[in-house]
Amino acid sequence: MIKEKKIALVNAGKYNPESIDEYLALGGYNKVKKALQKNPVDIIDLLIDAKLRGRGGAGFPTGLKNKFTNESVCERCVQKYIVCNADEGEPGTFKDRVIMEQDPHVLIEGLIIAAFAIGATKGYIYVRGEYTKSIQMLQVALQQAKEKGFLGENMLNTGFDLDIEIKLGAGSYLCGEELTLLESLEGKRGYPRIKPPFPAEKGLFGMPTLINNVETFAHLPYIIEHGAEHYKSMGTEKSPGTKIFTISGDVNKPGYYETPMGVTLRSLIDDLAGGMKDNKKFKAAILGGAAGTFVDETVLDTSMGFDTLKEKGAVLGSGAIIVMSEERSIFDMTYSILEFFKHESCGKCVPCRIGTAQLMIMMDKAKENSTIKSQVLDQLIYEADYMAKNSLCPLGQSPILPLKSLKKYFHHQF
Amino acid sequence: MSKLVNIIIDGKKLKGPEGANLLQVAKDNGIKIPSLCYHKKLSPTGACRLCVVKIKDVNGLVMSCTVAVKDGMEITAFDNELEETRKHTLDYLLAEHNEHADGTYSDEFRDWITHYKLDNPKNRKYPSFFKDLDYKLDDSSPVLTYDATKCIKCFRCIKACDEVQGKNVLSFSERGITSYIIAGFDQWNESECDGCGECVQLCPTGALVEKPHRDKIQLEKMEKKVKTTCPYCGVGCQIELLVQNGKIVRSNGVEGVWPNDGRLCVKGRFGYDYVHSPERLTTPLIKKNGKFEEAGWDEALDLIARKFTEIKEKYGNDALAGYASAKCTNEDNYLFQKFIRMVFGTNNIDYCTRLCHASTVTAMLKSIGDGAGSNSIQDFATTDCLFVTGNNMIETHPVTATYVKNGIYAGKKLIVCDPKWTPLVKYADIWIQPRLGTDIALLNGMIRVIIKEDLIDEEFIRKRVDGGLDAFEELKQLVEKYTPEKTEEITSVPKEKMMAAARMYATSETSMIATGMGMSQQVTGTNNVFSLINMMLITGQIGKERAGIDPPRGQNNVQGATDVGCSPIIYPGYIPVTDEENRKRIAKLWNVDYENLSAKPGLTTVEIMHAAYDDKIKGLFIMGENPMVTDPDLNHTEQALKKMDFLVVQDIFHTETTPFADVILPASSFAEKDGTFVNSDRRVLRVRKAVEMPGEAEEDWKIIVKIAEQMGYDIGNYQNASEIFDEIAQAAPMMAGISYDRIEYEGIQWPCPTKDHPGTDTLFLDKFNTPNGKAILNPVEHVPQTEKTSKAFPFIMNSGRILYHYHTATMSRKNKALTDFANESYVLMNTGDVVKYDFKDGQKVKVTSKQGVLETTLRASDHVAVGELFMPWHYSESPVNRLTRSDLDPFSKIAAFKLTACKVEKV
Repeated sequence: MIKEKKIALVNAGKYNPESIDEYLALGGYNKVKKALQKNPVDIIDLLIDAKLRGRGGAGFPTGLKNKFTNESVCERCVQKYIVCNADEGEPGTFKDRVIMEQDPHVLIEGLIIAAFAIGATKGYIYVRGEYTKSIQMLQVALQQAKEKGFLGENMLNTGFDLDIEIKLGAGSYLCGEELTLLESLEGKRGYPRIKPPFPAEKGLFGMPTLINNVETFAHLPYIIEHGAEHYKSMGTEKSPGTKIFTISGDVNKPGYYETPMGVTLRSLIDDLAGGMKDNKKFKAAILGGAAGTFVDETVLDTSMGFDTLKEKGAVLGSGAIIVMSEERSIFDMTYSILEFFKHESCGKCVPCRIGTAQLMIMMDKAKENSTIKSQVLDQLIYEADYMAKNSLCPLGQSPILPLKSLKKYFHHQF
Repeated sequence: MSKLVNIIIDGKKLKGPEGANLLQVAKDNGIKIPSLCYHKKLSPTGACRLCVVKIKDVNGLVMSCTVAVKDGMEITAFDNELEETRKHTLDYLLAEHNEHADGTYSDEFRDWITHYKLDNPKNRKYPSFFKDLDYKLDDSSPVLTYDATKCIKCFRCIKACDEVQGKNVLSFSERGITSYIIAGFDQWNESECDGCGECVQLCPTGALVEKPHRDKIQLEKMEKKVKTTCPYCGVGCQIELLVQNGKIVRSNGVEGVWPNDGRLCVKGRFGYDYVHSPERLTTPLIKKNGKFEEAGWDEALDLIARKFTEIKEKYGNDALAGYASAKCTNEDNYLFQKFIRMVFGTNNIDYCTRLCHASTVTAMLKSIGDGAGSNSIQDFATTDCLFVTGNNMIETHPVTATYVKNGIYAGKKLIVCDPKWTPLVKYADIWIQPRLGTDIALLNGMIRVIIKEDLIDEEFIRKRVDGGLDAFEELKQLVEKYTPEKTEEITSVPKEKMMAAARMYATSETSMIATGMGMSQQVTGTNNVFSLINMMLITGQIGKERAGIDPPRGQNNVQGATDVGCSPIIYPGYIPVTDEENRKRIAKLWNVDYENLSAKPGLTTVEIMHAAYDDKIKGLFIMGENPMVTDPDLNHTEQALKKMDFLVVQDIFHTETTPFADVILPASSFAEKDGTFVNSDRRVLRVRKAVEMPGEAEEDWKIIVKIAEQMGYDIGNYQNASEIFDEIAQAAPMMAGISYDRIEYEGIQWPCPTKDHPGTDTLFLDKFNTPNGKAILNPVEHVPQTEKTSKAFPFIMNSGRILYHYHTATMSRKNKALTDFANESYVLMNTGDVVKYDFKDGQKVKVTSKQGVLETTLRASDHVAVGELFMPWHYSESPVNRLTRSDLDPFSKIAAFKLTACKVEKV
């Protein structure tokens, strides 16, 4: 029987998010005070030591990202930027929303600590436009933090300046991709950029930029407070700490659950999500959202970590888990996912623009004539593989993930 | 220049500049990696994914257009996997593509399709679905058509508009598979697209095509492509004329050469129709009993020779005069001045430069020794700060303005000084809007700020200014009274803005000045430019790269015509007519007695008209000029022309001036002759014959030679234009090193004194062209304008040009593309005044000054200040010069076109 362990959500529900006083009563901003006494390089070393990995889906070592941005020098740079990716758009994912709605100050604390570590003086939180409550909570929290002197010039008399602004996304899935997000932040249309250069080198307005997911930032205060060793005592060796899993679909208690990394899918479903709805048989789960992977019951007892899942041809991604019972159609789900990609493809590069359309042409054919489905699946994988190798950004590289895992686990049920 | 590094592509060892674009390096080395979205002039996009390669020790496939070359890089550009991938991508593109092609455009996409044998449908895998996308054709622009079904969405048009032309008009609408290009918010004709056609030139398919002549053009049947120089403004854009069935059917920008690197404006790309206009003059015309009758060349030449000789004998040499032409070639103009000096025996030769930059040139000659721009066009993009004053560059020198915009986007600073809003204001860091005629006060105020805040370059003043700090002291004392408050009172420019502009100009590492008609066409024109130069000299913003002063020239060869001596006071190469040694030298070159070359400075354009009015000039030879529109106070000009005993006009069209002529001669357009033009950055550029002349029309220089012959003079036996240029090179020392063979590919900037001299991109790096090599400060005072508003004439009229028309519009209004954009005269009035005086936007009004009256349409606009008016001067049906005064700047004799008191009444 597993239990929740809260780091990102440690204060969630414990205070009125519109009252910084209540937050301060819980010891709020002590971590910021502590961090600002440190040498920025020591904070980065601490994050590297804690082996914190990005919670947005890619699992890149956060400490290294900080280090690169901190060390990035350019002659004509006016300033460095820190950007919080709060454009939570991956289907089945709603963890960032919970943090922003219930504990906006932990995010602000995390942003201040990271900004201080890399020397950024301007921060942006790029929030999904539909998240009206998150936006409202962040606005109030930022205002109150400024009033209390936790933001602005000469913060807490340390000589450190930081200003944080909220920017709203406008409904494009692709703007959750970090380089596209930066493009959108600059006021341009949301098209992906050529990589490299990476944001650490040339990010927002061409300046060195650290961009992290909401949940990642939310881990920073905890690590500052408790140290790397304590943090690493949770989770797995390669994926320490906790993760918020957002479980939806055919379970009794869909919702968000923060547990140490490495728990099994079975325990998440049974112990926390109340088991399968109406006692139906588990058929499949989609891990990581649309840009994620199908798994079957053989993965139920695999440890949920970035690397352990990879071995099974699956991804952890953003922590989204969409559970499908025996009554659900794998084909219909695939259809929805591929339609989603076609709809969200920006159209900039040929493989993705036309590839996502081609995949749908094939799916429609298979829908009309079920006898060709297995043949179509091979074609889909052929096209998606070409797209993955040739597309400009992660969107065009994504359809291969569900399709390949589908082939691995469900080719007979397609 | 970055260092060269070694790379290997498919086993071939190559060298390329470190950090350079891999795809381009491969291309430069003859390895043609397929690509569509990449263009040398644009930032890499990475959209088409065709230039895919493999790089050793790099995971996966990479797009070569996005890779920076590093030493030791090993690249696989062609193998089976890569070729299959490319085919896959092209096959994809074909699925969304309408393959109907009409042969009117070059098609890079089609070329690759053919290369990979995908033109055979059997080799394709994906069904076509472009019809399902339900695209609509955008045919609304006067000059181009966008067909989304042929669009491969490569971004080249968008980037052409943004990165090259700096206009930012185009973008995608919708997303993904259904996306397509829009202009502005949707339709082309409702957008800010000004029709420059850069997007068409860079489009790799038939998605964006030119509209004019589209029904006729067949690229396969094209007879020839002729590289030449644009006949419109003084930028000197290199164009390539496509000729089919003896007619020009298209004009493309020539990529890869200065000054334009393929860039054009709407006139350069779509303004060639006039060459084939049915209104062209095709035979000589002689006025008999008040009517023009067609005549043979012999009869016309005989009459001209007889009449000019009669006048010469009866009234003396100085009763004759000539107007040269800023539109004709150097060769035409050189022979014209040779004719006037040798055959007429007078220095009464001038042309319309007197009406535009004479004051600028006068001031520049006196203070720094050269009247031409000190810099090159590329410096407009790279100087740290550009001060544009009285110059509506986006409309008058559109291609120069593209470089300015490139600079702005790269973080350079721009100050615009103009009483009227111009489109450049949108890009400016600071816009200062002085009252008309208060420029000297403004500049003196700025100079005072620079001195008070110690932003001067003392070392420069000491070393390179005549009189050094003593001369500076004189200026310092003179400007002392122009306090910020006083300056604001005179100019109405808020002092903070004026001070900010002064600081920005003085403190930027390099600053350049672009000055235009707004400064020069005033009675204080010369002094205006003196004060500009004063500011430049005390800050040391000249005499180094990317700094200096440039007067962009209004006409294609206004620079060259003066260079080759079409001036009453100078010979070819800016040598004064009073210089005896030079006259002796030239007399030898022309094989004439030097006593026959007059040492007496001649009359200027407006003075020639005044003299004609006073019966002192009896005969006038006009080559390609139209004083009945260009001259100030046209009523007076008309009377002067009527009093003339004998007037010859040599032109390609009937103009407002030809009715006053006794003989009209049919001449050649730029496309019908060989020659050269000199552009605003002193670049000698080739003009090449592309088509035949209509009827009996003749090359201008040949006509001049014939008239001379008929009058009994041998002014030279030339076989072709090249031989004339060789003589120019002997006459004008700064062109001594230039000949046609050297400028075959690209122009050379004078001074170019010897055959092995590369030309000069920046003037005055070591010394000024004054007698002692030092620049001269000329402190000048602001003088209140004599022309003032009154109860009877409550407005001040300003005039100028617009993008779509050129000069007196004899050429530009004969192009459908250009008249589709603009073809109606108007007067701009501040919206506040429109309300105050109870006018209505769009109503017909009568505009009256002391000199004359005209009718036009009123437009309410915030682009002019309260109490001021603006009219474009191209339209002969409402010629603004009916209103202007012929008051002259005492030094340069330029007229005060920019400032006339007027009243406006409802019709």
